[in-house]
Amino acid sequence: MRLFLLGVITALVALPLAAFAYFRLGLADVRSDMRPPAWETRLMQSTVHASVRRGASGMQAPPPGNLDDAILEGGRLYRNGCMGCHGEPGKAGEDLDHYPPVPQLPQVGTQYSDPELYSIVKHGIRNTAMSAYGPFYSDKQMWALASFLRRIDHLPPGMWERIQTEQTPVSSAN
Amino acid sequence: MKQFFIGFVIGTVVLALCVLAYLRLGLAEIRADAATPAWATQWMLSSTHASVRHTVPRDLKSPLPAGDETLIAGGKLYLNDCVGCHGAPGKPASDFGATFYPPAPQLAREGTQYSEAQIYWIAKHGIRRTGMSAQGSSYSDEHLWQLAAFISHITSLPPRVRDALQEKAGK
Repeated sequence: MRLFLLGVITALVALPLAAFAYFRLGLADVRSDMRPPAWETRLMQSTVHASVRRGASGMQAPPPGNLDDAILEGGRLYRNGCMGCHGEPGKAGEDLDHYPPVPQLPQVGTQYSDPELYSIVKHGIRNTAMSAYGPFYSDKQMWALASFLRRIDHLPPGMWERIQTEQTPVSSAN
Repeated sequence: MKQFFIGFVIGTVVLALCVLAYLRLGLAEIRADAATPAWATQWMLSSTHASVRHTVPRDLKSPLPAGDETLIAGGKLYLNDCVGCHGAPGKPASDFGATFYPPAPQLAREGTQYSEAQIYWIAKHGIRRTGMSAQGSSYSDEHLWQLAAFISHITSLPPRVRDALQEKAGK
């Protein structure tokens, strides 16, 4: 029994030390353009999903007023601030330069709810290229973005054209 | 001895399950703007530094002539593409760069601990799990070396280089 406990304790001490040494010796590859094994990517994605769900649970989206206006406003914000990395509706693209790769939202859509999208935009995601936009957008703008993002891969017909051409009033940043 | 071995295996499995549960239950903080203890950031920076030192070949050298022209060429690229996150010489720190976690290093204010060859390599390949993307697909090697020369001198630019770049920024 004593030997058994010693074995448990040895594992609990030796494994963190091994992980520590692995990083300190510079053995972890840090290049964005080299992809880590698929299981690592999957584990990281599910960690992010779980944490976003937990963080936004119980949060309610405010009633959108006019939904079309919200999508229009969100779409215009997307065009200005997000499209450079996340892709343009109707155009194929792939991100090979960031790791984790930036999701090409118009192609893949999103499984997050409005409150979850709102929190991601506001707080960003650490250890990714997604920065926090809370300091730059008003709450109303971020909820509008969420309304747009949730529908980005199935926008109502003609909506993207309207977003590109129509001069809708964009609310001020407070 | 067999007892010790069984204990070790069980300890390993329990540890792995704890880590997995922590991640799968959504307990890991993922917000980029949440407060982070300084040691955690320091740990990440030093691991990255160790990896770069370990991976970049020691004999990797810039093929470009040293001198003001190379620095000016690199400075122009920097002012076009890097200032948004990494800050411009003589300007306040970038607010945008601070909204990432890990935050984008403010090169123009703080300089860098990396050598010219290491900067070239970082710009080319990017840094995984940060906002730093690989620039190798958008820049030629020559441009990357020019950038590396500029960034490695960014806090000690010769006056002639600074003036030339100011002229460019003023236009």
